[in-house]
Amino acid sequence: MILHQLTVDPAEFEKRTGWEAKPEGLCKGDACVPAPQVRTPEGQLDVQVLSDRLGMPLVTDEATNTHALGPAGLGRSLTTAVAPELELPDYQSTAGPQPFRLSSLLGRKVLLVAWASW
Amino acid sequence: MPGWQALHEEFADEGFSVVTVALDLLPEKATPWIHAAAPTHPALIDSAHLSDELFGFNNVPMAVWIDESGTLVRPAASASIEGRRTTTVPDHLPDPVKALIAEAGRIPDIASEYRAAVVDWIQKGSESRFALSPHQVIEHSLPRDRSHAEAAAEFELGQHLYQSVGRSAAVPHWRRAHNLDPSNWTYKRQAWTLETTAEGAPSDLMQPATEIYDGNWLSDVLAAGGGEQYITIPHDLEK
Repeated sequence: MILHQLTVDPAEFEKRTGWEAKPEGLCKGDACVPAPQVRTPEGQLDVQVLSDRLGMPLVTDEATNTHALGPAGLGRSLTTAVAPELELPDYQSTAGPQPFRLSSLLGRKVLLVAWASW
Repeated sequence: MPGWQALHEEFADEGFSVVTVALDLLPEKATPWIHAAAPTHPALIDSAHLSDELFGFNNVPMAVWIDESGTLVRPAASASIEGRRTTTVPDHLPDPVKALIAEAGRIPDIASEYRAAVVDWIQKGSESRFALSPHQVIEHSLPRDRSHAEAAAEFELGQHLYQSVGRSAAVPHWRRAHNLDPSNWTYKRQAWTLETTAEGAPSDLMQPATEIYDGNWLSDVLAAGGGEQYITIPHDLEK
């Protein structure tokens, strides 16, 4: 997640990573990690606490003062089998990209396959 | 792409959908392939490689399976649907190109087993032996320790800087990503191809050596044990 300061809006953080700040801690699917100090007095999330509690590495580009918070490095790439929301442009139509949400296919079996032009 | 489209068409009436996601920093590289395949399924472009992070893809093609309730029943694993054609390598090609084609030819072809497994799941659902429990899905997802996660952060920072500042700002972060997680081919192949694709060409699948990065496709495949080891085949899909 790209950041220009070391606090983040809880809703933005959840949208990008799937981790939700709840009273019991930081939760994704059925997994929760306690994080008592994560909320700032302004209601934002402290990125350093997120980094420490979720094993999310924080890296910085000094020249542009831009940060990136990596995914949770807790051992496996999945911490839950609940599929995350994925919002990306759909280029199926030659008329141009349309917004797409993976959750729009609930009720169907989905095979999601990654490919690339390279 | 045409193979996935055919699978989608065959089983769309049975409550099954294919969704393709192109991990392409530059969407204009992926759109010609998409339009040529004329998909009737969602054909997404993920220019920030978000789905690498969310689902654990570290090469292409890889896929996950998601059931009707939105639960993953197979974690990210190598996926293929069209069998490879055997090609004879013309003698006149330069040696490195011949070596690359030979190594690519050693990559296991799992298309028929993979297709049979998908069809089994479409028809039997949770009764299919290929549908894993939530616990198994997590257990069989690829490892992600601190260095893998740091590589993901460096890769994302690089792609952001590529778009906002320019190529030279991205390179140091991508070099770090490659060193932190050498097993991730999407970080490497995305960066290499931006250096090696000729102006106006759609993409470079050879990804030869450059002065910018330490590795290239052939050297890194050989270092990792050769084409036979290039993809991870789930134990229950082996021939």
